[in-house]
Amino acid sequence: MSTHVTALVLGVFFGFSLNKAGLTKYHKIVNVFRLTDLAVLKFMMTALVVSMTGVYAMRGLGWVTFPHVPATYIAGNIIGGLIFGVGMALSGYCPGTCAAGSGEGKLDYLIPGLLGFLVGAGIYGLTYQKVFPSISKIANKGSIVIPDAWNISPHLTVLFFALMSLFLFYLIDRVGLHRKESVS
Amino acid sequence: MKSIINYIRRDEWSPYVAGALLGVVGILSVWISDSLLGASGAFENLAGMVGDHIAPAKFDNLYFNYIMPPGITWGVYLLVGMFFGGMLGAATSGTLKWGKKSAFNSDEQWKSIFGEQVWKRWVLAFIGAIILEYAAGIAGGCTSGLAISGGMLLAPAAFLFIGGMFASGIVTALVIYRRRY
Repeated sequence: MSTHVTALVLGVFFGFSLNKAGLTKYHKIVNVFRLTDLAVLKFMMTALVVSMTGVYAMRGLGWVTFPHVPATYIAGNIIGGLIFGVGMALSGYCPGTCAAGSGEGKLDYLIPGLLGFLVGAGIYGLTYQKVFPSISKIANKGSIVIPDAWNISPHLTVLFFALMSLFLFYLIDRVGLHRKESVS
Repeated sequence: MKSIINYIRRDEWSPYVAGALLGVVGILSVWISDSLLGASGAFENLAGMVGDHIAPAKFDNLYFNYIMPPGITWGVYLLVGMFFGGMLGAATSGTLKWGKKSAFNSDEQWKSIFGEQVWKRWVLAFIGAIILEYAAGIAGGCTSGLAISGGMLLAPAAFLFIGGMFASGIVTALVIYRRRY
């Protein structure tokens, strides 16, 4: 029971952050693909830098062990990503932002969005055995994380990712590395 | 204090501030619940429940029995929380759309590119949502469960997924916006 309350509360903060970042708006999502507004990229990379710093520090201190790490099967991860991008550019949302946008009262999120996810999930579950085993066996590396798999220091990996992100933010915000908006 | 309240009330935050908040939520999820944030998996759990009611024989398969069993899981509670989190966010900035006409087709840019028709927006959004969920199944998660949660653990899967997502997102936007890209 208490774990469910925790999930609800974490979900509220998650959805709240998506709303405040503007990710529950169609144009925010599509414009990152048009390269005219890179807020989605900044949001995702900031979340990654903060969270990876936290979880790797806690793992180093022995406070946590990682939950089930998402599996790396190279072809499937890339093909899934490629199909996912098409859906994202068409609809202007992803499953998480659609849930948060639905709560805002946007009916084009609440009805076609949530229904579409349920239909997509049903189709996937019914075709799983024909599709997934053959894709996921190609270059399947299992549940690996970069520092362990490549035998490099986790702290250096996190530091490298953080510096790379800061450099990218600098290029975007200070140097102006994005396209100018042409749609009014 | 007043400036903090004013900031909370803003419609849009700096993506760095909002991103840091999500980062903290990601850490707490691992620390408190030993779980990863995600969204697409919850829809699989829910689809299994719906399927058990409308076509129990068809949904009695390996996937729904063992891989993603139907039920109100941790992820479903998280998803419900996200719904209310979005609501709370919009409420603090006075941008809730419940009961408003603009709720049917919620984005000005969409209208300026594709027109006012609600059915057009809903058809494209519905097709997009099916594609998204199916793709998340193949990839092993969505933007939340794979890109953010996998990325924070430094799983290569997350970065392969993000690369694929941006590549095809850019191409798709080019195709549908054409000269207005």
